[in-house]
Amino acid sequence: MINRTTNAALAAAVAAAALMSAGANAQTANADKERCYGIAMAGKNDCAATGNNSCAGQSKADYDAKAWKYVAKGSCATMEVTLKDGMKRKGTLSPM
Amino acid sequence: MRALADIQRTFTHALLQPVLRVPDAVGERAGTSRERRFRVYRNNVKASLVAALTARFPVVRRLVGDEFFEAMALVFIGQHPPLSPVLAEYGAGFARFLEGFEPAADLPYLPDVARLEWARHAAYHAADAAPIGIDRLAALAPEDLHDARLVLHPAAALVDSPWPIVSIWTTNSVDEEVRPIGPDHGAETALVTRPRHDVLIHRLPAGAGVAIASLQAGRPLGEAIAGAPADFDLPHMLAVLFGAGAITGLLKGAPE
Repeated sequence: MINRTTNAALAAAVAAAALMSAGANAQTANADKERCYGIAMAGKNDCAATGNNSCAGQSKADYDAKAWKYVAKGSCATMEVTLKDGMKRKGTLSPM
Repeated sequence: MRALADIQRTFTHALLQPVLRVPDAVGERAGTSRERRFRVYRNNVKASLVAALTARFPVVRRLVGDEFFEAMALVFIGQHPPLSPVLAEYGAGFARFLEGFEPAADLPYLPDVARLEWARHAAYHAADAAPIGIDRLAALAPEDLHDARLVLHPAAALVDSPWPIVSIWTTNSVDEEVRPIGPDHGAETALVTRPRHDVLIHRLPAGAGVAIASLQAGRPLGEAIAGAPADFDLPHMLAVLFGAGAITGLLKGAPE
């Protein structure tokens, strides 16, 4: 049991925690990401542009052209998926 | 003339109880019989509720299989019809229902996995708030830390379990291939947050669940960690809390 946490011990813990979280700021978690359409597997989308699936994880088809996923900025156009008919398609920054 | 409320009560009651006859309020029309029309309505209600549960509890569904899940969902729907017209609120009692659902008794962790999935769902619909960085806490004078109160994000929620629920959830939702979760995985406490658009799940270090629940209840930092075990890792807990975007404000001094 910690009977009386000293101010110094608390301050040391806070400082250690600040060091641990350096570079991992949640506020900017999605700031370096972009919405990429047409690459999400069924149920793995982050959200939808329009249509019936109001949001995350509810797309019903693989690589739904209207469902998007967050990906690292600049990488969307390089995401390539293979559709059921064997065609290959890249992700786009707007709904297809 | 009967009151409208009476008619509605009879109607909704009959919708979810297939043994009840078609309510009198359903009138005859040319074409399709009233029995058949009511069956269509009844089926649509059930299908939409099953779909809502399926969307809300994908890992539970994966753990028991599609067929079992649907049968289980129908039993739940029969026993727990929606109490609100908002479909997004449906399924709050599912975890508790699973505790007493005999056919799933072989999976004792199932109710807690359902709790975690419900917490994700609730976090998704919780109010928005901007998280603050740990630099704000670090900027306080050492003598102010003990009485500092951390304001938790409206979406932040704890799910405490004697089972490795975070590992089970993760491997069944994220991993390409499901990896076995052995008996060496002990109890896990999950912190669910939604700093921006994405719901996140974090595994908390031992003892952190109690401390965070205490913070959530408005107790100051020093008091919240006072009962923690000697090996409690405070820096780790703070790093997870702030890193997960679970803290949105900092209040100095005792509450009024």
